[in-house]
Amino acid sequence: MRVLVAIPAYNEEIAIERIIREVQKTLRDFDLLIVNDGSQDETGQVLDRLGVTTATHLCNLGYGRAIQTAIKYALRYNYDVLITLDADGQHLPDEVSGLYNANKNQDWDMLIGSRYVKTHDYSQVPFGRRIGMRLFSLLVRVVTGHHIYDTTSGMKVMRRSVFETLTRWRFIDFHAESIVFLLRLGYRIREYPITVVNRKQGRSMYTALSHITYPLKTSLIMLLSVVQAELTRRRK
Amino acid sequence: MTLHGIIVLILVGLVLMVWILDLVRRDRLYVGYGAVFIIPIVCVILVLSLPQLLSYITRLIGAIFPASALTLLALCFIVFMLVYILTQVTIVSNRLAVVVQELAIQRAKDANNTNALNSPRAGDK
Repeated sequence: MRVLVAIPAYNEEIAIERIIREVQKTLRDFDLLIVNDGSQDETGQVLDRLGVTTATHLCNLGYGRAIQTAIKYALRYNYDVLITLDADGQHLPDEVSGLYNANKNQDWDMLIGSRYVKTHDYSQVPFGRRIGMRLFSLLVRVVTGHHIYDTTSGMKVMRRSVFETLTRWRFIDFHAESIVFLLRLGYRIREYPITVVNRKQGRSMYTALSHITYPLKTSLIMLLSVVQAELTRRRK
Repeated sequence: MTLHGIIVLILVGLVLMVWILDLVRRDRLYVGYGAVFIIPIVCVILVLSLPQLLSYITRLIGAIFPASALTLLALCFIVFMLVYILTQVTIVSNRLAVVVQELAIQRAKDANNTNALNSPRAGDK
């Protein structure tokens, strides 16, 4: 079984080297792809020095497009499983094996590394984000009937069965909207408990403005996902 | 509307039409976008040239004055154009994203192959 670990990176010159070294140390059997999403800092030079396989966007296309590039790469070069991690070091590569094995033993199309599936406790999250996460979780439940506690996790295991579907439509960040789209099409998605450490270096990709635009855009695209999934089902 | 107002509007329409046709001729404006402007301009000139048609349209949309009817139609056209232009921008940006992604994937594979060729194989000295 061919497995690709993909890490989208945008201006992560400080954190990227550590995460790559950890992945190379702990996940020796898996191929690694870094999607450099038009970084303007020294991320490109760090990646060149480390000699890892890098897909470089000539301009910044956003997180969703970076994930989509990884999916297209996995689809084109016949990978069976794609694992995505964030480049900011919040995900522990040690936990990838557990996530991968859990998915291997079951028949799920996507397994989401979840911070909240075990405890259902959002108290560590800042107030504004907590409301957003609860809202998206509720919306996913209303439109799909499935309870997904962590809709914004960047740590996912995807099987080849979903690759083509995920390249056919436009997602913002591959968060709640992609989950709704896949669930409405009948794919099986589950969560698996993981630990997330707070970002130590670098800056978040979310700006002050995106805290307002993100919920609006995601809610709209989630509702459109329901319509698009229905149309896709009828066409089949 | 006064005759003076109608003549001014028709002249503005004709100047706009000549400008757009010239832009299309010099390949500064895509012929499709030119048509999107030319068709409404011709329609407005036609409406202004036929006072009975203008009165009919005014009654049809519930306006009191012909000038109000024309203003409303102009606002609708501007909104339509904004949406149309934004759809075109989205189409171009989607195409650009696909090109950037394809280039990234291709270059990643090429670099990977080069690395594999350059790295010493097992047994090589």
